[in-house]
Amino acid sequence: MKEYRYVVEDPMGLHARPASVIFIEAGKYTCSIEADWNLQKADCKSLLAIMGLGAKKGDEVIFRFEGEDEDAAYYAIRSVLDKK
Amino acid sequence: MFEAWKKYLKKGGGKKEEILAPVEGLAVPLSEVKDPAFSQEILGKGMAIIPSKGRIVAPVSGVLSVMFETMHAVSITADNGAEVMIHVGLDTVQLKGEGFQSFKKQGERVKEGELLLEFDLEGIQAKGYDLITPVIILNTMEYPDMKCHVGKQIMELEPIIEL
Repeated sequence: MKEYRYVVEDPMGLHARPASVIFIEAGKYTCSIEADWNLQKADCKSLLAIMGLGAKKGDEVIFRFEGEDEDAAYYAIRSVLDKK
Repeated sequence: MFEAWKKYLKKGGGKKEEILAPVEGLAVPLSEVKDPAFSQEILGKGMAIIPSKGRIVAPVSGVLSVMFETMHAVSITADNGAEVMIHVGLDTVQLKGEGFQSFKKQGERVKEGELLLEFDLEGIQAKGYDLITPVIILNTMEYPDMKCHVGKQIMELEPIIEL
């Protein structure tokens, strides 16, 4: 299992556009990718789940990767998040 | 064959599910939306409505699964499983809720036709925003035979998408 702690930088939080970036990247991997925030869990392969978290600027979201390609997925998600 | 049968059952014995228009206006294909996240169907397939009235009603009965704090977009998870997203205008997230008013909270049950949002159509347009409103099925993969009715003026709650 790999974990990445990400502090939301977008001033509008995880709205449709940033959520879709995570969703598109997550769909490329077979491992499970979960985003946790404020006792809620979102499957990153569901755009609705990511948006439903309601994470805002400054919130720390924990991404958890588990499965065969977890390393590749971890670096991919990190790179799209850090680009923002 | 088994898969086809399962799909048939899931759709309630072959009956098509309908998504109704959440807003009055001109129904157009997604390709006309000037934002690649929508026009390239990145968020899912669907259609868009150029609104002629500043109110959004529930296009299906279900749960209001997303109500952004900025009130520019909502998503309803229908009782039949379809995830319908309504995104009022392009880049309207930047308005931070100004010009929008919500009538339901995230997590609440909504009935088809219930008022979800009101927005100041003229005021938002005057600020230079394109108010074209994409209506997207987020879990598009589950509906390979989806049909959209576009190219005409539609009233609130007219059928626009068949799943």
